[in-house]
Amino acid sequence: MGELKQIRFCGFGGQGVVLAGTILGYAAIKDGKWVSGSNSYGAQARGGSARSEVVISDDPIKFPHVIESDILVALSQSAYDVYIKNVAEKGALVIYDDLMVQPSHLRGVQQIGVPATNTAIHELESKQVANMVMLGASVAITRIVNRQALISSVIENVAERFRDVNVKALEVGYKLGEDHCCPE
Amino acid sequence: MTRRKIDSTLSPGFYYFSGNEAVAEGAIAAGCRYYAGYPITPSSETMERISIRFKDVDGVFIQMEDEIASICSVIGAVWAGAKAMTVTSGPGFSLMQEGIGYAALTETPLVIVDIQRAGPGTGQATRVASGDLMQAKWGSHGDYQTIALSPWSVQEMYDQTIDAFNLAEKYRVPVFLMGEEAIGHLRERMEVKPTVDIFDRAKKPGAPPFGTNQDDGIPPMPAFGEGERLLVTGSTHNEFGIRKTDDPEVHANLVTRINNKILKHRESIIKTEPYYLDDAEIIVVAYGFTARSSLFAVDRLRKEGKKVGLLRLKTIWPFADGIIHQIGRVAKKLFVPEMNRGQVRGEIMKYVACEVIPYNQTNGDIIHPHEIMKQVRSLL
Amino acid sequence: MGRDLEKYLRPEVKSTPFCPGCGHGILMNLILRAIDALELHMDEMLFVSGIGCAAWIPSPNFNADTLHTLHGRAVAFATGAKMFNPKLKTMVISGDGDLASIGGNHLIHAARRNIDLTVICANNMIYGMTGGQVASTSPVGAITSTTTEGNIYRPFDLCKLVLGAGAPYVARYSVTQPVSLIEAIKKSLTTEGFTFVEVLSTCPTQFGRRNRYDSPADMLTMLKESCISKQEAEQLTPEELQGKVITGEFSDGGA
Repeated sequence: MGELKQIRFCGFGGQGVVLAGTILGYAAIKDGKWVSGSNSYGAQARGGSARSEVVISDDPIKFPHVIESDILVALSQSAYDVYIKNVAEKGALVIYDDLMVQPSHLRGVQQIGVPATNTAIHELESKQVANMVMLGASVAITRIVNRQALISSVIENVAERFRDVNVKALEVGYKLGEDHCCPE
Repeated sequence: MTRRKIDSTLSPGFYYFSGNEAVAEGAIAAGCRYYAGYPITPSSETMERISIRFKDVDGVFIQMEDEIASICSVIGAVWAGAKAMTVTSGPGFSLMQEGIGYAALTETPLVIVDIQRAGPGTGQATRVASGDLMQAKWGSHGDYQTIALSPWSVQEMYDQTIDAFNLAEKYRVPVFLMGEEAIGHLRERMEVKPTVDIFDRAKKPGAPPFGTNQDDGIPPMPAFGEGERLLVTGSTHNEFGIRKTDDPEVHANLVTRINNKILKHRESIIKTEPYYLDDAEIIVVAYGFTARSSLFAVDRLRKEGKKVGLLRLKTIWPFADGIIHQIGRVAKKLFVPEMNRGQVRGEIMKYVACEVIPYNQTNGDIIHPHEIMKQVRSLL
Repeated sequence: MGRDLEKYLRPEVKSTPFCPGCGHGILMNLILRAIDALELHMDEMLFVSGIGCAAWIPSPNFNADTLHTLHGRAVAFATGAKMFNPKLKTMVISGDGDLASIGGNHLIHAARRNIDLTVICANNMIYGMTGGQVASTSPVGAITSTTTEGNIYRPFDLCKLVLGAGAPYVARYSVTQPVSLIEAIKKSLTTEGFTFVEVLSTCPTQFGRRNRYDSPADMLTMLKESCISKQEAEQLTPEELQGKVITGEFSDGGA
């Protein structure tokens, strides 16, 4: 059996959590993986909670939802508080936005803060692309998909007028992730 | 009936489609070139994709004023020669029922996709359920048969949409793809193969379009504009379409034939998938998304050494009575988890004598594998 | 019906199902005369009808492709057939209850979309087949089996309705105006887009006998007296217009 990773992005509606998960899924397809992705969000377009789940595997996927997350990416405190209870017992990794989330102390869970919203506001002058900064950082840290596959996925799935800023955010995030990542 | 392979209209390869997008692509691959529909959550993504993709294949797309108009215009287009489809969800499926009965009696091949949501009524429009299965069988008045399929993955939303068209054409019958919100909105890796198997509509100029002496009971299917001067009516009719609304024999023969042409072929229509059945003491019978939860659960339980199996129903109607009867004789208990109040369990109980334990969840959520494991463990 | 029109009828059909004195027989004749005058070929035509007496005008009588559909849905069925195969010269023939009441939504939407259909609405102001119940086209005061003290609701002006939805050709005539009616049907068949002809017809069995038109001739006389042209209507005061039906072309397809 090959590897199976369960990734959960969470935040509040409007943060682009669903787009981040979808783009990750597309990238994993490009890498030749099996992928299942599902989303959950409130009825309203803004506010409320949003969640995007991606299961990436070397083999066909039996159950397509996340049962417990190997990787949790949190963009809001309320979402973090809910989903931190559902991370894998062994080797779970939590990546959180350090402006939005105050992590709780947990044994055996590696938690990494990424200044995604901060960077989006100050460096990229667009709060909306915090999701792409977070995605770029998460991929750099986890190497769950190929960097080039990720960039192509953004180019293919984001409307042309937002493309450049999203790709830039992804690259900036990727760099942040590399800086945070402890070399093995 | 001829079977041929056609080139796919989408480049072969792997895609990351949602289930609803996969339906649109499956329909196009199957040769569907007429689509009429009305927006309804959680199915609208299919219609949106069709409206764009039909431009590539010279298809006719129309957004109608309601679901009644959608099914009726689909029937009109089929008689004009199209392979046609509409996609909807519970409330729209309810509105279509009169048209479905008309299609059954006029033996109009068409495909209806129902992306099931939590009902009854408007219910929970964005949440999942599997509560329309009995409606697929009994929704319109009178006695008729349809074929209903139950996909469990995005790949099957594509593959079974193609199957649905082929079955509709082969048996001249409405075919339902009974999707569920959780599959319609799921994205997964989906493979588009280079070629697709297609059934072409049987033609036999001059032959009666509503009757046959052949054992299969399936008449050839002409179209308007072919000089056949067809008479198509939803009233009782003879083999040439002439109304016979007072003739008991014509009515009895017609109703019998449109039922038997499906029931006689049930062995080739019905598809099931067995998992670990050989020595299973408890067999889970499941379909749709719940079958995936069930397979995950059964796999885990097998690893624990539990004698548990799964029978997955890919076809809901006609019902898999034969294999259900068989497993009912060997298993101690059957366990039937459903996102409804026991629609398929009731059907199973017609064919088995053993205990059939229901697990019914109607909260708008999928049934989680852990719940199935817990329930099955309590039965061991 | 004239022998010269028999070629348009299915050989196996020996009689119509219409009651003695029914205006639909006249309409059936006039439709075929219009088709004959235009030299249209029956192999290229598709007739679509709904449920009700008027739906039996083409089915099973006309020797062409006919689609006899559900109650109210003829226009929706016709839309599908025409959209998929635009070569089919498609005519919908049905009654007022079918097209305007249960099927009213399909009627206005097909007009709005300007689907290339000819719709002939045989308006006898009542539900004939089901036993004479009030229709959305019954005049105020009409006695029917469900308005035994007289209809209290206003009838639809079907031409205004379809005109409001944008149909390029809209006309209304009575079966007592056969020459004008043939011309209107011809024009509806030659005008591109959604064309609508409302045909005032008679139902002596269900409408006549309840409303003191004791013979079919009395009903025809009533129609003859109440139908006036647009030009005549312009000369009349609102009081004088009471009870009159204005006939003519309300939109002439830009011709």
